[in-house]
Formats: sequence, structure tokens, C-alpha cells
Amino acid sequence: MSKEIKQIAIYGKGGIGKSTTSSNISAALAKLGYKVMQVGCDPKSDSTNTLRGGTYIPTVLDTLRAKGKVTADEIIFTGAGGVYCVEAGGPAPGVGCAGRGIITAVEQLKQLRVFENLDIDIVLYDVLGDVVCGGFAVPIREGIAKHVFTVTSSDFMAIYAANNLFAGIKKYSSTGGALLGGIIANSINAPYSRAIVDDFAARTQTQIVEYVPRSVTVTQAELQGKTVIEAAPDSAQAQVYLELAEKIAKHTDSKTPNPMSVEELHQWAGSWAEKLLKIETGEVAPKDGI
Amino acid sequence: MTSILDEPLPPLVSALERPRWSCALGGALAAVGALPRTIPVMHAGPGCASNFTWMQNGSGGLATGGYCSGLAMPGSNLQDSEVVFGGHERLGEELANAIKIMDGDLYFVLTGCVPEVIGDDVDAVVAEYANDGKPVVFASTAGFKGNSYFGYEQVLKTLFKSVVEKGAPKQNDLVNVWGVPPTQDVFWRGNLQGVARLLQLLGFRANYFFGSGADLDLIKKSAGARLNIVLSDLYGIEAAELFKELHGVDFISTPLPFGAAATEKFLRTVGAALKVSGEAVEKIIDAEGRRHYEYLEGLLEVFNDMEAQRYAIVIGDANYAFATADFLAEDLGFLPDLIAVTDDLTAEKREILLTKRSARVAGRYGEKSQVVFIADGAHLTEAVDDTWRAESWKKYHPAKRPAIVVGSSLDRGLAAALGAAHLTVAFPVSNRAVLNRGYTGYDGGLTLAEDVISSFIAAR
Ligand SMILES: Nc1ncnc2c1ncn2[C@@H]1O[C@H](COP(=O)(O)OP(=O)(O)OP(=O)(O)O)[C@@H](O)[C@H]1O
Ligand SMILES: [Mg+2]
Repeated sequence: MSKEIKQIAIYGKGGIGKSTTSSNISAALAKLGYKVMQVGCDPKSDSTNTLRGGTYIPTVLDTLRAKGKVTADEIIFTGAGGVYCVEAGGPAPGVGCAGRGIITAVEQLKQLRVFENLDIDIVLYDVLGDVVCGGFAVPIREGIAKHVFTVTSSDFMAIYAANNLFAGIKKYSSTGGALLGGIIANSINAPYSRAIVDDFAARTQTQIVEYVPRSVTVTQAELQGKTVIEAAPDSAQAQVYLELAEKIAKHTDSKTPNPMSVEELHQWAGSWAEKLLKIETGEVAPKDGI
Repeated sequence: MTSILDEPLPPLVSALERPRWSCALGGALAAVGALPRTIPVMHAGPGCASNFTWMQNGSGGLATGGYCSGLAMPGSNLQDSEVVFGGHERLGEELANAIKIMDGDLYFVLTGCVPEVIGDDVDAVVAEYANDGKPVVFASTAGFKGNSYFGYEQVLKTLFKSVVEKGAPKQNDLVNVWGVPPTQDVFWRGNLQGVARLLQLLGFRANYFFGSGADLDLIKKSAGARLNIVLSDLYGIEAAELFKELHGVDFISTPLPFGAAATEKFLRTVGAALKVSGEAVEKIIDAEGRRHYEYLEGLLEVFNDMEAQRYAIVIGDANYAFATADFLAEDLGFLPDLIAVTDDLTAEKREILLTKRSARVAGRYGEKSQVVFIADGAHLTEAVDDTWRAESWKKYHPAKRPAIVVGSSLDRGLAAALGAAHLTVAFPVSNRAVLNRGYTGYDGGLTLAEDVISSFIAAR
């Protein structure tokens, strides 16, 4: 019997840090001894850049378009620490159908049986920020990924996107879709940011898997075209990613989240606005306010 | 040029069986294929062209001809790669090659579902050629936006917007005629030409856009026409409003004139609209009528002998259902008991038909005459059961026989179940080869009389 491959999808608002976090998780998992593949599901095809020295790799769809068919070695590239990198690719902005592209690319990977052939332990899908059509929901449908992790900051719009994602997960949850593993809270530095995401997790009945601080180490690594794991292996930030990776590797039970309705979400945000104002005016000490 | 965002949303259809039309692309393709020296360029996924060639034309009197149609037409044949990366480059390539290889005076791009779902900017591709002086136009005809009739209307609108020249010199003897969707009206060629002959009797030249005798130069100059005549209560009306808005030509809408009675009305209405003196019109009616009835007399004995005055079930689209029922009632003295209109119509459009047609239906055909709107072929038998079988069950009143079902090839089973004769006139007609046959005008009436009577003796 073949082993079960752990397939994970990372979703979240555009620009929130999905690719950065995914690449660092992948690099950390590899360091912990797992065989990892990261699949960028975004026409920008920049998901795996920091695993590949800051360079772009040929995408599944570009190769498919040029040659009519693809082989595994044309689309899989080995990155730092031995992480296998794949980019689905897609059309230029404003033309064609990127969603259909994701479907096609994921189908190709399935057909080529790359996970089995490479004996992969963990696959990470790094999916474009806004799930604008059915194509971008493919990794969490049809029994591809089993677990979804969402990256969010404490910004309201990021939380709004996470809440929408939860609604999508709930929708497919009864038909064998992926379930929610938890929230990766990114760029959490101020104490109130932590309180906000904690409260959001509590309200939607999910958990925070890790708090990742905003750190200049990440920026420095990115500028070298590297993950933090590779560029600053002994840094505190690397330690955070390693701990996160370990939790993800051990993670087994995902759940159906309980998203807020739009109205609830607005009320919830409103109540936080008041609290933050009180902290700002000094009416409440930062610690007491939260 | 047409933008997909300009178009009003068509009515929603859930699901229906045995529809008597094809999709917007099908209706549009039938129309473009019927334009003189025009090359259709299909921007669609694989399968559409062959589907229309065999299914649609095969159901439209078998004629697959046209200047460039059937499987000869160019198409972009969109594959997975075009869906993902956009189909505009493929269309540009296809268009360039079509212009190079195919000898045409107009290249007409039609879109199927695929490019419109992914949002191909067809306008931009077409504009590139049009700005270059190439005769390329485009109609947005995704199947999910409507059926054949919608596609026909889209083609008309594109013609009026992009082909008909603004400010053409007035031609006082010219009238434009449309409202007969090619192939969807299986007898479109004959019907258009029959109407053209009637207009000739009134002293006018007809520009009828489609089929043999239509002329692209005349189409381009058609803004100079005196009047637009729409041979339909529904099809081509929106296009007529657009024509009026763009080129300032008024229109009238009249039913398809099948046979002598309807033709008389047609001549009077059109004559009045074109300011032909009443006296002259009556003279034409007199002379043509005399000739017509001389012929019809030939069937008089057999008509009486066969008890050929029958109850009829008439099934057809908004054009055919009423035109045929009128003919059967007024020219042959039949009793059209049930008139089933098979279009998928909004409540508004049903209302238009009922107000325009039902007075005549109720007044002339007796109280039992009923109009039903049934787009779903599966429900047609129920309507027949309600109005018809219920009657014929009565032991001593098998009052509604003998009978005839005048409809489409889909109604063969119904006719057989009723033990009635069966004549196919409405789409789909797959049991007849139709070339120049038509039912409009006096001569068309003779042809329809022949067809009706022949259906009674088909088994001899
Ligand atoms: N914890 C962090 N500390 C410092 N910088 C960060 C952190 N997380 C992300 N960033 C920076 O934020 C920017 C955006 O991150 P990233 O590209 O990973 O986002 P994304 O969610 O993948 O965006 P997109 O939706 O566009 O794919 C990058 O420049 C990245 O270095
Ligand atoms: Mg990204």
C-alpha cells in the first residue's frame, strides 16, 4: 500500500505573505527530513522564487502550450534544501482564464503521478489570493488537498478574506473537500494584533497554528533570493518557521470552520475599532484593552 | 460594434425537452451562411460547426449549401491552451488566413460560448482588421445568451451597425424585408422571394438580405430604403428599432402572408404604408386572385370527395403557428383546434402575440380554438390530451376526426397516435428536402395547399 501523501493548501488575501510563508515552511520541512513539493497556483508564478535563488522556473502551462504535452522533468525543479518546485503558470493579466489554467495544471500533476514517483511526503499548494472563480477552488475540491491553512494579518480586509475562505471551505466540506487546519497569523508584532486574530479564531471556531512576527530577516533573505531557513538558519525567525513546519507535519485533524456572516463580521470589526480607539487615546492601557 | 456587455439578458430557461431551435450561434451561423459572398468565421470550441452542419441543416430541409458554410467555414477551434491563455491570437491567425484564402466580400466573426466565458476581446481583434480596411464584422452569439432567434437578431444588428452605410442616397422604390430567420424558417428562401414578388407587384424592389438574389451592395445601400418590412411579430423587431435609430427608416411588422387571404391583407397594409393608391392595390388583388383561384379549383372535386375539410393541430414558432393556422382556416376552411406556439417566450412577448393574433383566432376559428405556449416538446402531448383527446373519447361524438397535425418532424408520433395526417412545415423538418419551396403570396398558398392535400394521400 502506498503511503498517504499529506497535501496542504495555503490560501489568504493577496500580498499577505502566502508565498513567503509557504517557501519557508517547505524549506523547514525539508530540513526536518521530509520530501516536499511546493506547487505555485498563481499565474504570477513567483511562489517558489526564494527556493530557487530568486529566479523563475518554466511553468506547467507554458511548457504545455509550447510542446503540447509535458514530462515530469520539464516542470519539476529542485530548489534549496531539495524542495521540489512546480509553478502552474497561467495567462498574461487580463486575458484567458487563469482558473481553468489551475485546473489543467493540477490535472497534469495528477496524470503524471509525480507525487508517487518522487515519493513525496508533503505537498504545499500556494494559491492566488482571491478565490475569484471555481478554478482557484480546485486544490481544496476534488480531494486534492486535505488541509487548508490560511495566512492572515490582523488587518480587517485580510480577516475578511479569511472569513470568505472559511465560507468556501464550509461549502465543500460535506462533499469531501478540504477542511481547515488553522490560521497562520503573519506580521504579528503589536499585542493588539495578536488579540484580534485570537478573537477571530475563537469566533470562527478554529485555531492559530503559529504567530509569525514581521521581521527584517525575511526582507533580507528575500533580497538574496533565499528563504530565511537558507539565508539565516540560526535566526529567531527561522526558528519560528521550523516550529510551524513541525506542527504542520504532525497535523492530522482539520475541521469545518464556522464563518461569520457579513453582518456579524462588520459588528465584530466595529467592536474592535472602539477598543483600538480607547487604547490610542490612552483611556485604556494596551494590556487592559485586550 | 457589438460588445458583449451591451446586450440585454435573455430570459432564463431551466430545462426542456425537444426544443425546436438551436443556440444563438446556430441561428447566427444560418443567417451569415445565407448572406451573399460572406465568409463566416467561427470563434468557438470544436464541435459547433459540425453540429450545426448536420443537426441544424439536416433539420432545416437538408440544404447545407450557402456561399461558404457547412464544414467549409473557417473556425478557431479553441483548445485547452486558448481557454487558459486567451483565444484572441488564435482568432487573429484564423482571420488572417481566412482573408487570404477564402474569396469573400464580407468576413463575419461569430462567437461561441468558450471565448465569451473567458472574456476574449473579439472587438479588439476585429477592429484591427476593420481599421485596416478589411471587411470584417462581429456578432456576439454565445449559446448561453439565447437561442437561434436571438442569434439571427444579433446578425441583423451587426449588419445594420457595421455593414449598412450611413446616409446612403434615398431610393424611393426600395424596401428592406426581414423577419424570416434562415433555416429556423425551413422555407426561408421561398418565403422571402414570394414576398419580394408581391412587392414587385406593388412596384417596389425588395432588399431581403439573405439567399439567392440578395446582394451585398444593395445591403450596404439599404439605409436609402423607403420602408422596412418585418415579416414577424417578434423576430427582427429589435433590429428594426435599431435600424430606425441608426438610419432613420421606419418599419412595419406584418405576419408571414401564407396564401390568398393573408396576401390580400399584406398587399393592403403594405400598399397603404407605401402610399400606393387603394385602387391600384385592389386591381392587383383582383387579377392575382383570379389566377390563384383558377388553380385552386383544380383540387375542388377531390377536396369535397375526401372530406378534406379537417380539424387541425398546428404547432410552430411565433411566425409559423399563426401564419399556418390562418391559412388553414381562411384559405382551406379547416378548423385549427389547437395552436401551439413553441418558442421560449417571455410573458411580454406572449402578450404581443395574443393581442395581435388572438382576435382573429377566436373570431374565425370557433370558440374551441385554443392558443398554448409550449416550449417543451414533452408537454405538448398533455396539451393535446386536454383539448383534443378528451373530446374524441366520447363514443358518439368522435367529432374531431379526420384530422391533420401541421407541425415539425418532432410531431410525427403525435400525429400517429391521433391517427391524423402529418405535414412538416416548422423546424425541425428532416423528412423533406427543401430548396426554393415557399408558402408566401398567392403561389405560396397553392404550394401549401398541395402539401396539405398531399399529406392525406401520402400512403397511396
Ligand atoms: N513575516 C514577514 N516579515 C517581513 N516581510 C514579510 C513577512 N511576510 C511577508 N513579507 C513580505 O511581504 C511581501 C509579500 O509577501 P508574499 O509575496 O509572500 O505574499 P503573497 O500572499 O504570496 O502575495 P500574492 O497574493 O501576491 O501571491 C514580500 O515582499 C514578503 O517579503
Ligand atoms: Mg504569492
